[in-house]
Amino acid sequence: MTIFLLNIGFGLVTASVLSLLSVGLSLQFGVTNFVNFAYGSYLGVGMMLAYTFSATLHFPFWAAAALGTIFTGVVSMVIAEGVLEPFARRRKSLFYMLIVTFGLSLVLDNLLQIFYGVDFFQYPVAQSSPVTIGPFSFTNAQLEIIAIAVVAMVGVHLLLSRTRLGKAMRAMSDNMDLARSSGIDTKNVTRWTWFISGCLAGLGGIVLALNIVSFQTNSGETLLFVIFAAVILGGIGQTYGAMLGALVIGMVTEISTSFISSAYKQDIAFIVLVLMLLLRPQGLIPAKGKA
Amino acid sequence: MTLILGYVATLLVTFFTYNIFVIGLNIQFGYAGILNFTVITFMAFGAYFYAVFVMPHADNSSQVFYILGLHWPWPLAMLAGIVASGALGYLVGLIALKRLRSDYLAIVTLATGTLVYGLFGNNNKLFDGWSGLFNVNQPFQSVATNHPNEFSWIFVVFSGVIMLVVWLFANRLYASPLGRSMRAIREDQDVVDSFGKNSFKVRMLAMVIGSVIVGIGGVLTIQYIGALSPAGWTTGETFVVWAALLVGGRANNLGAIVGSLLVAVIFNEATRYIPQVPSHPNLIPNLRNVIIGGLVILSIWFRPQGVVPEKKASFLEVPLVDKYAQGFPGEEPGGTLSPAASEA
Repeated sequence: MTIFLLNIGFGLVTASVLSLLSVGLSLQFGVTNFVNFAYGSYLGVGMMLAYTFSATLHFPFWAAAALGTIFTGVVSMVIAEGVLEPFARRRKSLFYMLIVTFGLSLVLDNLLQIFYGVDFFQYPVAQSSPVTIGPFSFTNAQLEIIAIAVVAMVGVHLLLSRTRLGKAMRAMSDNMDLARSSGIDTKNVTRWTWFISGCLAGLGGIVLALNIVSFQTNSGETLLFVIFAAVILGGIGQTYGAMLGALVIGMVTEISTSFISSAYKQDIAFIVLVLMLLLRPQGLIPAKGKA
Repeated sequence: MTLILGYVATLLVTFFTYNIFVIGLNIQFGYAGILNFTVITFMAFGAYFYAVFVMPHADNSSQVFYILGLHWPWPLAMLAGIVASGALGYLVGLIALKRLRSDYLAIVTLATGTLVYGLFGNNNKLFDGWSGLFNVNQPFQSVATNHPNEFSWIFVVFSGVIMLVVWLFANRLYASPLGRSMRAIREDQDVVDSFGKNSFKVRMLAMVIGSVIVGIGGVLTIQYIGALSPAGWTTGETFVVWAALLVGGRANNLGAIVGSLLVAVIFNEATRYIPQVPSHPNLIPNLRNVIIGGLVILSIWFRPQGVVPEKKASFLEVPLVDKYAQGFPGEEPGGTLSPAASEA
């Protein structure tokens, strides 16, 4: 029972990491209406940039993490402006967009490996001994991860519900043509969406690296389909659904380790994805016209 | 001379097997519009299952572990490998083909690839983990004993014949009613549904046939090399097949040949001779992947139809004479009112 409760705690940490990532993917999908298969590489960009800022340039870690987050957002925005949006305008077919983002993931992954190699890295942060809170046990880093995720989720909620940008994003997600004819500057909103999505990917990558302690450039890559699982579970393109999906997937994968080897964690996520696609492909919170 | 002949044989076998992969993907993506982002996993499935069916029981003292080890004759084992690959295609299709959105299928294929890769790699009881299978029984070894190149050249003919059969089959399929349904679904599934076609079944057939063909290529690969480990079927390899298809031209088996010649043989082979950088042993493979990924993107930007574009379907049709084009409504050019016009 204690192990079970411990795993619920770890589930909370994994869910926090996943929530940042799946919300970022979901926001972008809602606005642009295509899946970005290069998203996994953005995680790598974030975690490696934060490493460069903290370990090589000796910034304090929080500053390095903030810079890594923002720079990943910039990278995401530049890629969208330079490659993806021109493609979306030139080739309307969804097929082509998916292949282009898929090709982009290969390019980005290998560029990262050219710059950083295949070594394992570690952030220069002190490893604290676990803190026991009730039945749970967390390291300081894990508590920070949960705090960061909560703050980010509240931030996304405020963005979507209170700001002009967030309302425009929701409008575009519901109906692109209507949004455009209502006078929303769709190009600008798309640009900002890519930036926010990239920031969340970068931040997610950094907290993922913090959680697994030692990481490689492609550590985020295998997580990509777990993120997809969370996004599809919540209803593709639904931001609050993505949060819910992340919580469920995070909990289920970690709790499963009480019963089976943790090597099969991802297989559990895959089973959830498969069941979801077979039984309720529109997701827990279905979006109209998206499934 | 012996060395050059052996090298040429290897190049030809590479060319033929990649051709088979590209034709398999072509049937899935080019014909039916199915995005399979893990082509190479099907190749690995075919290869691994061929291996465990043809190899003798695993000798545990050698620290090499694998399942089955049935020691079947190679033609039967070949069949087993192909069936395994087709079965994987069926399972993936079962999960994802029911949905309309093509991104779901792409996600499921990608997830399957990641999963199978991790499962086969981390689990050394299945197919010997990361070290992979080696000393896999090769066909024709009993007859090819005179000269080291003899096996290679027998295999060139063998794989060439199989490629030809696959090629002819793919062309037949393209022109067949089934192939037409596949292409119609690729263009507009709703229209096909409204004509009463079972589009799920048609797409599933494309998925399975494509997987089977990629599986054939996988079996040929392991038969020729005699070994396969997870390092040989990374995501980058999937891209080589995709790049070959897109550069050559989709929905077009001549394009598949041109593409696999350009990308899989000429580009891949040419970059093999760039000298290694000692401090960065992975630099050249990484750069190669960057270029392959870039090639995929650029070919979609500049020439999505590929070097050899798909031929437009030509129909034998009676020219339509628009009798009502001239004149005022209700009045035929001849002057008399036709019954159709008076109804309108």
